[in-house]
Amino acid sequence: MSEKAINDRASIARRLVGKRGRSLWRSLGELSRDPEVMALLQREFPGLPSLTEAKLGRRRLIELMGASFALGGLAACGPATVPDVAIPYVALPPGVIPGVARNYATAVTRGGYADGVLVVHQMGRPVRVEGNPEHSASLGALDPVIQASILDLYDPDRSQTVLKAGRIAGADAFVTALTARADALAAKHGRGLRILSGAVTSPTLAAQMEALRRRFPEMRWHRWEADGRDNVRAGAALAFGRPVDTVLHVDRADVILAIESDFLDAAPGHLRYARDFARRRRAPEEGRPEAMSRLYAVESMPTLAGGRADHRFVARPEEIERAVRALAAELGAGPPDWKADWKGQGPGWVAAVARDLGAHLGAALVHAGPAQPPAVQALVHVINDALGAPGRTVEYIDPVEVDPVDHADSLAALVRDMRGGVVDTLLVLDANPAFTAPADLGFAEALGRVPLSVHLGTHVDETAMLCGWHVPEAHVFERWSDARAFDGTVTIIQPQLQPLWAGWSPHELLAVLGGEPRPNGYGIVRDHWLRAARERGEADAEAFWIESVRAGVVADSAAPPVTVAVSGDLVAGLPTPAEAPRGDALTALFRPDPWLGDGRHANNGWLQELPRPFTTLTWDNAALLAPATAERLDVKNGDVVALTVAGETVRAPVWVLPGHAADCVTIPFGFGRTVAGRIGKGVGFDAYRLRRGDGLWQAAVRLSKTGGTYPLAATQHHQMIESPDLVRAGTLDEFRENPRFAQRPVSDQSLYPAWEYPRNAWAMAINLNACIGCNACTAACQAENNIAIVGKEEVLRNRQMHWIRVDTWYEGGAEAPNETLFQPMTCMHCEKAPCEVVCPVGATVHDTDGLNVMVYNRCVGTRFCSNNCPYKVRRFNYFNYAEDDPRLAMSWNPDVSVRARGVMEKCTYCIQRIREARIAADREGRPIRDGEVKTACQQACPAEAIVFGDAKDPDSVVSRRRGSPLDYGVLEELGTRPRTTYQARLRNPNPDIQEA
Amino acid sequence: MTIAAERTQDDTKRVVEPGVTPMGVTAHVSDLVLEAPTPLWWWVGFGMSAGLLGLFVVAIGWLFIRGVGIWGIDWPVAWGFAIANYVWWVGMASGGTLISALFFLTRSEWRSATSRIAESMTVFCVACAGIMPIIHLGRWWYFYWLFPYPNTMALWPQFRSPLHWDFVAILVYVIGSLVFWYVGLIPDLATLRDRATRRWQRVLYGILALGWQGSSRHWREFKTLYLVLAALMAPLVVSIHSVVGLDFAGGLTPGWHETQFPPYFVFGAALSGFAVVLMLVIPLRRALELSGVITLRHVDVLARLLLTASLLLTYCYLLEVFMPFYRGERHEITVVLANFTGTYAPWYWAKIVLNSVVPQLLWFRAVRLNRPLLFVIAAGVVVGMWIERYVIVASSLHRNYSESSWFPFHPTVWDWATLAGSVGLFLTGFFLLLRVIPMVSMFEMRELLHKKRGPG
Repeated sequence: MSEKAINDRASIARRLVGKRGRSLWRSLGELSRDPEVMALLQREFPGLPSLTEAKLGRRRLIELMGASFALGGLAACGPATVPDVAIPYVALPPGVIPGVARNYATAVTRGGYADGVLVVHQMGRPVRVEGNPEHSASLGALDPVIQASILDLYDPDRSQTVLKAGRIAGADAFVTALTARADALAAKHGRGLRILSGAVTSPTLAAQMEALRRRFPEMRWHRWEADGRDNVRAGAALAFGRPVDTVLHVDRADVILAIESDFLDAAPGHLRYARDFARRRRAPEEGRPEAMSRLYAVESMPTLAGGRADHRFVARPEEIERAVRALAAELGAGPPDWKADWKGQGPGWVAAVARDLGAHLGAALVHAGPAQPPAVQALVHVINDALGAPGRTVEYIDPVEVDPVDHADSLAALVRDMRGGVVDTLLVLDANPAFTAPADLGFAEALGRVPLSVHLGTHVDETAMLCGWHVPEAHVFERWSDARAFDGTVTIIQPQLQPLWAGWSPHELLAVLGGEPRPNGYGIVRDHWLRAARERGEADAEAFWIESVRAGVVADSAAPPVTVAVSGDLVAGLPTPAEAPRGDALTALFRPDPWLGDGRHANNGWLQELPRPFTTLTWDNAALLAPATAERLDVKNGDVVALTVAGETVRAPVWVLPGHAADCVTIPFGFGRTVAGRIGKGVGFDAYRLRRGDGLWQAAVRLSKTGGTYPLAATQHHQMIESPDLVRAGTLDEFRENPRFAQRPVSDQSLYPAWEYPRNAWAMAINLNACIGCNACTAACQAENNIAIVGKEEVLRNRQMHWIRVDTWYEGGAEAPNETLFQPMTCMHCEKAPCEVVCPVGATVHDTDGLNVMVYNRCVGTRFCSNNCPYKVRRFNYFNYAEDDPRLAMSWNPDVSVRARGVMEKCTYCIQRIREARIAADREGRPIRDGEVKTACQQACPAEAIVFGDAKDPDSVVSRRRGSPLDYGVLEELGTRPRTTYQARLRNPNPDIQEA
Repeated sequence: MTIAAERTQDDTKRVVEPGVTPMGVTAHVSDLVLEAPTPLWWWVGFGMSAGLLGLFVVAIGWLFIRGVGIWGIDWPVAWGFAIANYVWWVGMASGGTLISALFFLTRSEWRSATSRIAESMTVFCVACAGIMPIIHLGRWWYFYWLFPYPNTMALWPQFRSPLHWDFVAILVYVIGSLVFWYVGLIPDLATLRDRATRRWQRVLYGILALGWQGSSRHWREFKTLYLVLAALMAPLVVSIHSVVGLDFAGGLTPGWHETQFPPYFVFGAALSGFAVVLMLVIPLRRALELSGVITLRHVDVLARLLLTASLLLTYCYLLEVFMPFYRGERHEITVVLANFTGTYAPWYWAKIVLNSVVPQLLWFRAVRLNRPLLFVIAAGVVVGMWIERYVIVASSLHRNYSESSWFPFHPTVWDWATLAGSVGLFLTGFFLLLRVIPMVSMFEMRELLHKKRGPG
């Protein structure tokens, strides 16, 4: 609306002069008959003039009203819930069958890399994410972050409209503005046009970029991922002279050295690696003890790989680098004086590890995490080369990322140009640099100098607030796209429903920039792949497209291995390792939060409340310190300290973490969002303010006590093993000597008669030898079973609702625990369940299949069952958590009851899935097949640690696991006879290395 | 007219002071209700009690609106103040029943003067106790599901659950206590009816007296009924506290799973019951000028009972520590050690001092007859007995079998409000009773005096 017209009172007054009778007007602008306003009115209501100008009789008016009412019902007929172009994953009769789920394949990306997923639909509504068994990076498993993506879809805080300078604006206005700017830019060859995105692996987007470059030759495309893999990329370039991606073959590795590695946590392909790793670890109980692999880890802060390592060496960052150099020297891949340079801890462990690696040439593997500097990454390639790994335990492929660049340099160049006034148009695609950029760059301030800035994002975030335009991005389940996995495999991303709100895909935004005012994401992606199919020589491009979308994998799209050679002068050219910070400064280790990533998932309640591995912290990040360092600094859990890096100070609570390197402080970033939504805003502290371009992963930090304290919501408060019976572990040698070392004689006497099970006797086996402690089971259970989040205040009262929790135990000293043990704990479905006898109303009972079932409607909430449960796996609705949960009502799983206030709940063994299989089996007049029922936790587990099935069937997988010599029941001396049993953990230590 | 005795000498042998006549007792006790102006101390006490009762109403109102999450209960300590309060109140209630019923059966002379105070106390203790398990429920509006009532779903309660036994036990106890108390009141209500001068009093007590005529047939039936009720109530007081003990002993929780819990809880109940009777008798014999009938003999007997109960309970405390070590059960030892030195150690030691150590002073006659000191000791026991239940509930659960779930209980302001508010409910009720029913059983005193001195 024209400000001028509104304020021009004189003109308004003039128009009112001489008017008689009723003269209706809707706004001051209209009254002033400002031409701008009148034009706007005409656009908004095209039929209006014909109605108002022409004589509208009484009859005509009634006719129109009647027709409006009658046709109004039509509006309720659309939009379709499933796009008519989506293709079901499995063949089902057409149409939606109530109660019968349909799966559609697609992919979710993380740092650009795709993990193939199946989205489960009920009544045409996506309710859950499962792994795509046909996808090489998933194999049917999922990590918590991807599982929680369904909650993002239903996040009520998602951006819903185009904003111009923070105010609601029409999409058409945006298209007009961008088109006008694009035309102007085209005239000057695109000078001043910049695009900023995260890492991209989408072939379609790459093609679009190519097309844009043709229209705007001087356009530049910048990339920024705050938790990206710059070091890995630079290391490969350093070693081989060109960037390559490394694909691991963990299944072929007998000996692995993980250097603060994320190959089990977050590296592209980590789900697959976890499966390969776990299979080798489970080998002894399957009769092949010699096939068990050995894992060494050297790291400053605990990683999942470190938790599973047979030997875990705690080292400060500079010690790690020296150790890797010494290792290279031991293996003959580096100058001998590197050996002398190694003055690290643990006399001789480097030599011992080198001997072990060297003894397994062709079956050894070294991997370094993304926080390790390029020199370490390059040395890892050198060592792998010396170990004969290429072609066997590692393979190199051309980079999966499109047009790989160094993200830090790329962003720095952009900011430099923005500040220099060179940039006049900036498109930010699905990135939040105003929050995640290095603190010393001054991105936010430089952004103010860009005349036209456009932000595309699912949420109004810190960057959206600073950009001239904000365009709501369609969720990954609402748009067409494509992405590649760690091995290059392509998945075509198909939408699962019409956008809940008007969302755009990056493809559509780029198409507008390319001159297409009405872009169609479906057409863009499909056209690309039909063209690609013809280039591949597919006979039937349409069939190829349909099959690719259906399967969630483009056939034969994995990247072929390339042969690269380590450059000869590499070793000589490597810089000497940095020294530890002098004086009383500590080394800050900046690491992404495992669940929030760079902060993009901050508004996801499941991820906020999911305990972090090792710390079990929820709803906060904390400065993680070694116990000795904490003692020296006289701080304890929850004490607030001031962290100062290069003059910038941030206050953070302390958390003492066993197995952390001394004199280091891990500072997780991704928290402290200021513009995020009702869940993510203001949770935790913002570590990015300390993260500078010259110290992205580590920096010297000064830590001082403030005297304040801050409550931290952890879910496990006792982690040092006090009772050796709950979680049992031994070494491979002990196993060889006595395979049944973990079993104890248990009396099977009971006052009550034994149960009869005419059909099935469901049981679960959890293999501690496989479990990597990733919490995927907890997240899967939360998604499947409608488990509400409770919020930080309630977690502080220890009222979290997770039905399955991953207990983390340490054995040995707190400084460097000999062993970290993960134990998923869920309802044991005891044969003689202590909870059943104490419920006064019979709300928890034994069913015919041996399940211990909860009858929510019968529960009056005495909570005696929880008191009586020795495993403490029952959860109580102290408040109406489900009602207070801000998620959209349509996001709940319709197969599972949503529990009300005052009711006890717990693991049901996913009884809704059992019933589904039971119905199917009964209809076909057959018993339920082994493997037909998979619990949510089992399905998500990348390590195949959880197995579920019929214990009555001696051939079922679960019966075989229960028959393992390592099988034991937790607290079975109480006579509970748990249906969930555990297989004890085995370690495969190197006899040459003495334990501290 | 007064029956207050002149304080001549400490004679703990006399259950009635010389000079007290049957007529005198009747006149004094009934005038307290019918004629005497409401004293100032009553208004002060009643006002404060009503204030606490208001707090109770607010606490429960908020509880009903929000849910049991307003309390500090958590995971793994899913039971908290509500259960501790329940056990505490029901334990104190035992005092009235023991004195009225058990010592009726033993024909103890000293019982007559104190039984009415004790029984009235029981009625309101049981009321407080009965509320607690219901508001404790997550869905209190379904509390009747614990009762085996006929329903279209053909659902029964779970008869194996100690909580069901508990529900039945408390229901029987509530009804039994009320009936026992009311039946014992009938002759006195008739006396009030006959002595009343105001019309509304005559109507009120006339209705309540149920047509009592004092005929020999009435007396015969009354005596039989009262004996039967007493014979029922005496074992009932043992059974209810045994069942309360089973609420815990039936649980598979270290620190609860103990066979000694039923007698342990009976002893604890008796201790707190005698203590609270003492706390009421000592001020009331003064305020209502009853020292002629509630003599030092009564005070002495109650103090001796308090000491006895304390010794019995101390034996249980010792066993509670000894047995886990004797069995060598690791988790139970953990609970014992946690009590000694852990989060709840201050509470644990406070309980030992208040319930076991301080009552040993009662070995001394001078202490037993020193009413202010006795009052303080009894108050300490009442507090100590609440602490005992709190420690049993919270400490055991916070050191359960599953170490990964170990977490303490932190009470909230609503926990304390509920506890304080329930005291308000008790006191408000008791203060009201002081103004409407005779606080000494007049007919029993007449009978006692008659037996002692012949008709007079």
